[in-house]
Amino acid sequence: MVTVNLKINGKQYSEEAEPRLLLVHFIRDALKLKGTHIGCDTGHCGACTILWDGKPVKSCQILAVQAEGANIMTVEGLEPEDGKLSIEQESFRENFAQQCGYCTPGFLMMTRYLIRNNEEMTREEIREKLHGNYCMCTGYQQIVDAVQDAQRKYFATKK
Amino acid sequence: MYPKSFEYLRAKSVDQALQYLKDNEGSRVIAGGQSLLPMLKSRLYQPTVLVDINFIPELREVKLGSNGDLRIGAMVTHYDVIENSTIRENAPILSSTAENIADVQIRNRGTIGGSICEADPSADYLPTLMALDARVVLKTTDSSREMKVEDFIQGPFETLAEDGEMLVEVIVPPSKANYRVEKYARRKADFAIASVAAIVSLSKDGKVADARIATGAQQDKPHRLREIESALKGKASKSVNLEAIIGPATEELEPLDDLHGGPEYRKHVLRGMLSRMLGDLLSGKEA
Repeated sequence: MVTVNLKINGKQYSEEAEPRLLLVHFIRDALKLKGTHIGCDTGHCGACTILWDGKPVKSCQILAVQAEGANIMTVEGLEPEDGKLSIEQESFRENFAQQCGYCTPGFLMMTRYLIRNNEEMTREEIREKLHGNYCMCTGYQQIVDAVQDAQRKYFATKK
Repeated sequence: MYPKSFEYLRAKSVDQALQYLKDNEGSRVIAGGQSLLPMLKSRLYQPTVLVDINFIPELREVKLGSNGDLRIGAMVTHYDVIENSTIRENAPILSSTAENIADVQIRNRGTIGGSICEADPSADYLPTLMALDARVVLKTTDSSREMKVEDFIQGPFETLAEDGEMLVEVIVPPSKANYRVEKYARRKADFAIASVAAIVSLSKDGKVADARIATGAQQDKPHRLREIESALKGKASKSVNLEAIIGPATEELEPLDDLHGGPEYRKHVLRGMLSRMLGDLLSGKEA
């Protein structure tokens, strides 16, 4: 076993991990942060997307032991305070951008990254940048609506 | 899905990584892990020891050598290849190639060294690096050698890297000539059905001064299309009959046959891409 020290959503964690344990299982099962989902386990679907030093990565494609010293944000870290929704969450809710909700944590993390690191995006650009996230129910229309809406809301806070 | 159990060694320097590789038979290097982890999960590879080179800062550097060559550390991510201004200025075709790789998340973690060592026949970088005449630097605890990417890649998932040897750097001669790089896949993140990287420079009098063309996703490894290159070199760009060159030059190809596409389909796609991309380059259209 290897001890892994890392920061998630601003909080320091230290926990043992077997070398072959995936980061997504470490986050969910060792640290009990169940917001991050695991979908395909092959790096395609993006349900396990987290932010690592502010950039999205797929936590099923990384070993927990590789996250030593990492600074990570998961979907739990989006909420500005308990019971309050972030602009990404608010936009997904208002635009009905989810049905079963399984893929939503991954899409929310992508939204957090994309709206802050791009100029105003067209629908085509959003679709291109969300290529690594699958939703098997909504057909993406509302998800693209929600990302556009979230970006508008984010820009409004900057004015 | 869990990989088979292995011992994990975290290297803090290139020397330490090389020592770990020497001391542990059956060990393997893990770079970004975006290709290796799926292979470990499917148990295609079952290394006894995994040497992690993610904690070695010098492998993430991009430098310009005194002779003008780009020197790109093995752990430079696809994201960095896209964003790094030294790479984009000196080898813009490489930055454009990285834009085609997988998706945003994978590009943030996957590395150029890892991608080369995977040696996938459909890998995005390989045709581009072959067209650029790029070389790899391989090190062991007591040796260092260089070879062309074209020679390093042997076949599907096979390279000339020996036990105890690690790819530490990619050397790319600068190329600011006009280029095209494209991959064709049903969905962008998929592996290519056909891919082409082409660099063509025209002289002032409209002749083809240089042409370097490589293709991937066709055979067991990406390769240069030298017959087409030599047919183009020295010709007046306006008078080239591309169809008459591309047809015979691709006749002997026996493309892969897998669930992404059969051989005839792959060849058909390749010929279409070559004809359009080279047509653009010969007419001098900028990318």
